[in-house]
Amino acid sequence: MAITTTLEERRAIADTVRKLLADSCTEKHVRATMETADGIDRALWSTLAELGIAGLLIPTRFGGAGLGPVELELVAEETGAALACTPLLSSSVLAAGLLMESGDEAACARLLPGIAAGTSIATAALTGERGSWQAPEVTVTAADEGGATRLAGVASYVMHAAIADVLLVIARTADGHGLFEVDPRAEGVRIEALSTFDRTLRLSRIIFTRAAAQRIGSAGWPAVEAALRVALVARAGEQAGGARRIFDMTVEYTRNRIQFGRPIGGFQAIKHMAAELLLEAESATSAARDAALQLAEQTPSADEAIDMAAFACADAFAQIAATAIQMHGGIAFTWEHPAHLYLRRARAYSYLLGSSDSHRERFVTRISAQPEDVRIAS
Amino acid sequence: MSHDDLRREVRDWLAAHWTGLGSIGQSMWETSDAMRAWYTKVFEARWAVPSWPEIWGGRDFSDEQTRLVIEEFARVGAPGAGQDRFNLPANTLLAFGTDALKITLIPGLLKREITTCLLYSEPGAGSDLAGVRTRVERQRDTFVVNGQKVWTSGAASADYGMLIARTDWDVPKHSGLSFFFLPMKQPGVEVRPLRQITDEAHFNEVFITNAVMPIDNLVGGLNQGWRVLQTALAYERSVMGAGARGARRGSADVVALARAAGRLNDPQVRQDIARVVALRRLNALNNARAKADLEQGTSSSIMSLGKLAMSRILHEEARVRTAIIGAESLLDGDAHPIADDVNFLALNAYFTSIGGGTDQIQKNIIGERVLGLPKEPELDRNIPFRQVRSG
Repeated sequence: MAITTTLEERRAIADTVRKLLADSCTEKHVRATMETADGIDRALWSTLAELGIAGLLIPTRFGGAGLGPVELELVAEETGAALACTPLLSSSVLAAGLLMESGDEAACARLLPGIAAGTSIATAALTGERGSWQAPEVTVTAADEGGATRLAGVASYVMHAAIADVLLVIARTADGHGLFEVDPRAEGVRIEALSTFDRTLRLSRIIFTRAAAQRIGSAGWPAVEAALRVALVARAGEQAGGARRIFDMTVEYTRNRIQFGRPIGGFQAIKHMAAELLLEAESATSAARDAALQLAEQTPSADEAIDMAAFACADAFAQIAATAIQMHGGIAFTWEHPAHLYLRRARAYSYLLGSSDSHRERFVTRISAQPEDVRIAS
Repeated sequence: MSHDDLRREVRDWLAAHWTGLGSIGQSMWETSDAMRAWYTKVFEARWAVPSWPEIWGGRDFSDEQTRLVIEEFARVGAPGAGQDRFNLPANTLLAFGTDALKITLIPGLLKREITTCLLYSEPGAGSDLAGVRTRVERQRDTFVVNGQKVWTSGAASADYGMLIARTDWDVPKHSGLSFFFLPMKQPGVEVRPLRQITDEAHFNEVFITNAVMPIDNLVGGLNQGWRVLQTALAYERSVMGAGARGARRGSADVVALARAAGRLNDPQVRQDIARVVALRRLNALNNARAKADLEQGTSSSIMSLGKLAMSRILHEEARVRTAIIGAESLLDGDAHPIADDVNFLALNAYFTSIGGGTDQIQKNIIGERVLGLPKEPELDRNIPFRQVRSG
């Protein structure tokens, strides 16, 4: 991974996506998509695919744009701000990332072009019902039955599984963990849609009963870790973007809402909340961008930066979205007001791909392993 | 001159002159002979204020060229360059001073021969700084000063005090203030150390009784002081956002503290450590983004957040350190150096959350100037200062 674009090019990418979403992904669009069975805006996704967003990370030889985490993060800020309902995270980042990490050229050549074109939706089953997204929790097991590989067990919190064309599954093997491709419509694959708190998200529980599977390369859990790192950068970008958008909407409201004969933003009780949230919003943006940059440049501290962005952006978005409702007052307690859509997204993203507590734990493990690198200038 | 040529010139000059300052610190009030000699050299070579006009010791450099000079000095750890970015009194004078005062003070300030202190806050004017009551009156060819200032660090050694004082009592409060450079070493200026909650005396009270100064020491024009002060305050806040004094003994980082206390395996402590280490790193990232925005010519809302962020960092770090050492925090003094440091940090965190404008004032400023929210109503804004309620 490297940065192949100039600052101007990156700004142009972000501007293009922002303008597209301003027209094609309004609150009305989001609410309409929320109510559909699929939960994704296919028209929007196909436009984004034409712009190269569906294949943003995918190498050009597989039909992608060949860009990296820095560009991904900027795009994610925009999709997150608009609450775009697309398989960007599930298909283009997580599933495509697993395939690229697998080192299986044949599987990449077979599956990535469809993902890049947006015509095929792939997803990844990586965790069990506790939703820790950590290796010990993988409960699906792979077994060899007369020369054919079969999967058994349960995976949960799988994004967009109900509409996926390709299902990638991490399973226990004799040699640790292996990555497998499963046809979501095959016998022995039962996909149960879960009712989600964030209505813009689609999650499923999948029960595998001697489901036929094809192993992808020799990739194991490290490939999952690597793909999750990129996905967490995308998640951080979406969180930073979402946080900024609901913050801006809230400040705008307090400038215009009149009580006691003046805008409520003039009261210190509200003004001080806004100042505190601005710090959170800016910090989230800084953390997400730094994680993306360090991942792109493969710095020695990239993992720390990603861990930090994972919890800092999650917590900032959750705090901002929650406080935004309080600052609005009664109007934001209604279904019609968009504030709860952001709070739902913020709460969901705080646990999707791992909790803040688990990311803090990993962060401390890393920084305490190298005490000389973390000495803080005081 | 190309940037490469300039870089080479600075490097060659540093190679020829910079031999290090040994163990001498670089704090603002450092006044050792070696430090003065070095600053003099830097000034005479015109690296002190590269972006300034030549007549005041500069080179008329662009921001980009100046940044390059600062970078080269920073690379070898040499101080003194780029004072056009951080020398508050010199910059205030350049922007607002009379030529006579500039000639008298600027070279000395840049060479560190002249030191200054800030005569801003008063017992009756803390958050409401525009409510100062120190009085300056003109008597023939001099200004006469009477009043009391507080929270002045470096007052005992300073040559000049940057003074905000009232010069007109019959106009609203912001309109009757003027800014001066008051000579400190005179009989009418009495400096008394102030014992702080940390049991140190870093700050002073300054009692001013019929102190005098020349007419030229007025900076920015009569009753124009508030404007001058805004520039100076923004500078002070950005400095405070960049960091604060550590503990007396130079305390270890929180990870090392937890390890030493045998608490590094405590899940609660680990969560706390992650939170506070992240706060510090996030602030550094925010500052870096603000700087990058500035260099690209776009304005940034992040700059004003630094002091608020730092205040939270210091209080949170102190809280976590206290939780790590637990009951040891009951103790104090040289016999208990770790507890002494932790307790010091817990108390000294207020230096940043109160000094230079409290967190609450900072939040007003961010809300009003950055987010464009309506200003606080001010009952005293449009009435003559003489009629303003005090107490």
